[in-house]
Amino acid sequence: MKARRTLRLVCRIALVVIFALGLFAGSVTRYSYAHQFRESPNTTPSADHFLGTDSLGRDLFTRLVFGTRVSLLLAPAAALLATCIAAIVGGIAGLRGGWIEKIILASADLSMSLPLLFVLIALRALLPLDVSPLVSVVATFLTLGVLGWPSSLRVIWAAARELRDSDHILLAKAQGYRRSQILFRQVIPCLRPICLAQFWIAIPLFILTEATLSMLGLGVMEPLPSWGNLLRGAEDFGAMAANPWRLVPLVVLVFTVICFQFIFPSSEELA
Amino acid sequence: MTRWILKLAQRLLLLTALGIVGALFCATMVRFAPGYGVDESELDFRLSQASRDAIRHEHQLSGGLVSYYGGYIWGLLHGNLGTSAFLQRPVAELLKERAFFTARAVFLGLLTAWMAASILSLLTVRWPSWALEYSATAFTGFLIALPTAVVALLCLYLRAPVFLGIAAITLPKLFRYQHNILAQANAQPFVLAARARGVSSNRILFAHVIPVAWPPLVALLGVSAAMAIGAAIPLEALSDSPGVGQLAWQAALNRDLPLLTSITLFVTLLTAGVNCVAGALQERRA
Repeated sequence: MKARRTLRLVCRIALVVIFALGLFAGSVTRYSYAHQFRESPNTTPSADHFLGTDSLGRDLFTRLVFGTRVSLLLAPAAALLATCIAAIVGGIAGLRGGWIEKIILASADLSMSLPLLFVLIALRALLPLDVSPLVSVVATFLTLGVLGWPSSLRVIWAAARELRDSDHILLAKAQGYRRSQILFRQVIPCLRPICLAQFWIAIPLFILTEATLSMLGLGVMEPLPSWGNLLRGAEDFGAMAANPWRLVPLVVLVFTVICFQFIFPSSEELA
Repeated sequence: MTRWILKLAQRLLLLTALGIVGALFCATMVRFAPGYGVDESELDFRLSQASRDAIRHEHQLSGGLVSYYGGYIWGLLHGNLGTSAFLQRPVAELLKERAFFTARAVFLGLLTAWMAASILSLLTVRWPSWALEYSATAFTGFLIALPTAVVALLCLYLRAPVFLGIAAITLPKLFRYQHNILAQANAQPFVLAARARGVSSNRILFAHVIPVAWPPLVALLGVSAAMAIGAAIPLEALSDSPGVGQLAWQAALNRDLPLLTSITLFVTLLTAGVNCVAGALQERRA
């Protein structure tokens, strides 16, 4: 149990450090992520370029740090959006019941029948491939947020349904509160712990999905870096074997996702 | 039994409706996407204005979206899924050709993942030890942290078949669910009572724990199928495997409306069908 607590603490510290690196990317490195050192493409790690440069002469460490900012700040934003949608829609379904509940659950079933990645690929491909990097970032994470709610919905709906006949909701109804007031003042605050758990579960999922989308060329567009598009060169196995430090973004991504898995106490510890 | 069959029929009807709604939703999205109906051959400077107009006319939906829906559903009822605009071949033929590869990869991947996850979770429940628990968690934790596209590249690099990639992506999630379900069943008071009466550990596992854990495990079958189908798309796209996943990828990139609509229908029906069978089995068992 003590080992688990230590591991949890280490993971939390590591995540804080990684988040801080992304947040203060501009102070961590003196280069711009798009600056091309045309005289030194494909260089090995050195004091000037900690992780060397890519084929266009861009500093890989700088791109990694700015990529961390993009991936680690926007994945929580998408997770927040998905959780908010799930909380509102699940809260309405649980509170209202009847045909509204049936329609919401059927639409969630429909969304879950389609693999998320398939829908994301289809929807993301609808945008022109030459959109600006900023639009591509917003589109990618907005799509993740808008499509990521059904997996959380059933959990939140089940909890909201249990609240439907609780004493404080009955009291609120008797006092003449409007449905929207009951939802936002009585139901959603009670669902906060469940929503928070769903939010933390969604973050690593969205980080991984963005990485896959960007590796397929449908995520964040160049020159803006993200962990996913930094791994696009991984298809060239020869270059990767010759320059193993180019796998650092993958190591950081895997490490971050592993840290997310350990930051909460397990059910055995809570019991 | 009759009630069970009726429920199954009701579910099948619902999933058909869901599939059609999903496919039409996808068609609507593609239809209103920027750049829909634009052919790159229009950029050929040798073409006259009349030829360009003819190309544009060819790519426009005649009669709008509603008539497209009507035509699509009518064709569907007659077994005609239309013709792929990108590959210039009947969609039904393309799906028939490729469905086998994907179905085989998904089936083998799921089989491998289920076997590996079951063995791992049974081991951790039957012989609970710190080392085994941590090794299994570390192994599955590492696999779960790998993006699907990286697994696809690893498959390509190691020349491993697609089904192994599907298994590698599905296994960690399956293990976690299975382990939790079995651990919960193992913590029930009747298991403790059986242990106190000196019943052997193997008998407890196979006669008391697994029967209790069975219904949620069956429900997991549907979830795992959705995970496997989702994983098959990037795996097939990146490893150039001639399956439906690669076809979906090409259809999405080329905005091939008839092909994308039919693939969406196919994927929805496949996933919802497995979910439906799993749900029915679970209800029958319960």
